[in-house]
Amino acid sequence: MTNVARTGQALLIAASSMFFAAFTSAMVVRRGLSGDWITPLLPTWVWATLLLGPLASWLIQRGHVRPAMAAGAALVSSQLALLAGLRLFVIGEAFFGVLIAAHAAHAVAGVAAIGRFGARASLFWHFVGALWIYLVFLFEVWA
Amino acid sequence: MRIFSTDHKVIGKQYIGLALFSVLFGMVLSLIMRFHLVHPDTKVKLFGLLWPDGAPGGQMTPELYLSLMTMHGTIMVFFVLTTAPQSGFGNYFLPLQIGAHDMAFPVLNMLSFWTTALSLLTLLAALIVEGGAPLSGWTAYPPLSGLGKITGPGQGLGQDLWILSIALFCVASLMAAINFIVTVIELRAPDMGYFDMPLTCWGWFVTALISLFAFAVLLAGGILLMLDRNAGTSFFIPGGLIVNDQIQTRSGGSPVLFQHLFWFFGHPEVYIAILPGMGLISTILSVFSGKKVFGYKAMAIALLAIGGLGFVVWGHHMFISGMSPYSSIAFSVLTLAVGVPSAVKTFNWLATLWGGRLRFTAAMHFALGFVSLFITGGITGLILGQPGLDIYFHDTYFVVAHFHLIMGVAAIFAIFAGLHYWFPKMYGRFLHEGLGKLHFYLTFVGVYAVFVPLHFAGFVGNPRRFPDFKEYEFLKSVMPLHIGVTHAAYFLAAAQLIFLFNYFWSQRRGAVAPTNPWGATTREWRDD
Repeated sequence: MTNVARTGQALLIAASSMFFAAFTSAMVVRRGLSGDWITPLLPTWVWATLLLGPLASWLIQRGHVRPAMAAGAALVSSQLALLAGLRLFVIGEAFFGVLIAAHAAHAVAGVAAIGRFGARASLFWHFVGALWIYLVFLFEVWA
Repeated sequence: MRIFSTDHKVIGKQYIGLALFSVLFGMVLSLIMRFHLVHPDTKVKLFGLLWPDGAPGGQMTPELYLSLMTMHGTIMVFFVLTTAPQSGFGNYFLPLQIGAHDMAFPVLNMLSFWTTALSLLTLLAALIVEGGAPLSGWTAYPPLSGLGKITGPGQGLGQDLWILSIALFCVASLMAAINFIVTVIELRAPDMGYFDMPLTCWGWFVTALISLFAFAVLLAGGILLMLDRNAGTSFFIPGGLIVNDQIQTRSGGSPVLFQHLFWFFGHPEVYIAILPGMGLISTILSVFSGKKVFGYKAMAIALLAIGGLGFVVWGHHMFISGMSPYSSIAFSVLTLAVGVPSAVKTFNWLATLWGGRLRFTAAMHFALGFVSLFITGGITGLILGQPGLDIYFHDTYFVVAHFHLIMGVAAIFAIFAGLHYWFPKMYGRFLHEGLGKLHFYLTFVGVYAVFVPLHFAGFVGNPRRFPDFKEYEFLKSVMPLHIGVTHAAYFLAAAQLIFLFNYFWSQRRGAVAPTNPWGATTREWRDD
């Protein structure tokens, strides 16, 4: 990976981190504002999806681009399934929906980047995988 | 010249062209607003033709006034002050000044520009859709901006387009910021360390760092606001609202939450507008003083300090939102702390001039004008940074005068200075010096004639965003002042015609410039 590509991905990760930090801080504030917060009950299979990001990372590192893309696509599919069951007028579910959708957009970009650039896009994909773990823990453990 | 070019010089010129169109459009809107403020009952046929619903029979409605104000602020802040100094000059000259052949990601660079152009078109479309442009100002505070068209004309599709436009602008700015930072970090000439870069490059670099973190937050806020409007969520909508006699069923949200997200972006945005100008002015003062910049390292560190402090002062825009007095004190102290690096820069500029062999070119005139405006606007910032004073001045014309001087006009003076300075490099010809100086003197007098009196309007508590002052007894005393300001605004606008003529005439007929006409030492004058 060239320095330009690595630095570019690091900066993209910084911007994305700020994007999700803004959502997280808004969620923390909104949750504390009133008594209408209901944390969504996520299906147990969500825990299994936490493995998909690291699995794709592992495959990329070994040069298995197509299986890595398949793992990434599986992650996006599971997120779409989660989104379909959420009710946006329930504030906890709305926040989770926003975070899932934002993450899914990143995951789609990550899968596309793996397809186009292979292992050179690995840094961003590692971030996408770690971010999903953070989001699920944010809702299942903290919220 | 290819329209979809990936050449950084072409893209730089495209950004400058977009900003030039935007500043003219925004200026016309401001003139219409000033006209309405002093002639609120006058019917203008043209208004009736342009806005049949907003000005029936030529009589401008308060809603139309607010929509023009929203568009003026949004266009000027995003498409002029954010684009020209950073993306315009930066794209053209950053690679040249650091010895790179182009920006790090040329295709991304091209996409950034065209996403910005799409964003501008989306915003302008708000003027022609049903209901017209939104009323909620460039800050788009909910609940006005969050409830949809029930809150007034322009709050339907117009507000949706506004949010979409800003979201696109955020994406474009993030792409541009990544490009700028990578270019500085990875593509500097091997013999150029960070503290060997011209201060212009430092200005663009720090601005890109600020943009990277600020626009991501605005994008998040915009997405939540869009969902509040269209998906029935309640991130920012509080309970108990009755709008136009209709009870709103949503509850639990807080408009103050949006204000925090907005101003976490909004205050750094001030520095996004002004820091590139600071770098440029440092260079111009140095070149036309025949001396090195005084305290180069301190100047670079001051840029970093201003950029860093910019992220911890957003609360001073919200002193009246009900925040804890302890928070107010913290935000106030941090705000006043911005004065320290700002003073470092100002005194170093003066020290750069001291004892120099000054050449009063048009570029130098505008650079000195920038310093004057920066000091004037900065001092009123110290007043507004104190909660006790800000509570009185909040939402008055004092604030309008302050931010126009420090953020608007100062940055525009930097753009004029940059155009005079770099025009020979961009077009191979000089801008006409005599016309440039005439333009400077008329503009310099004009901006002070417009904005100094507005401070006094603020002293008497004249609220901003009011379309008709005659409705209020206590504002009758300031009407003569507003009449004077409006005439000064016409004068100021007329003076810009000199620049427009000079800009286009000189591209074809200006005196041919040699390779390094100012005797500068930076790389752009020796690289082809």
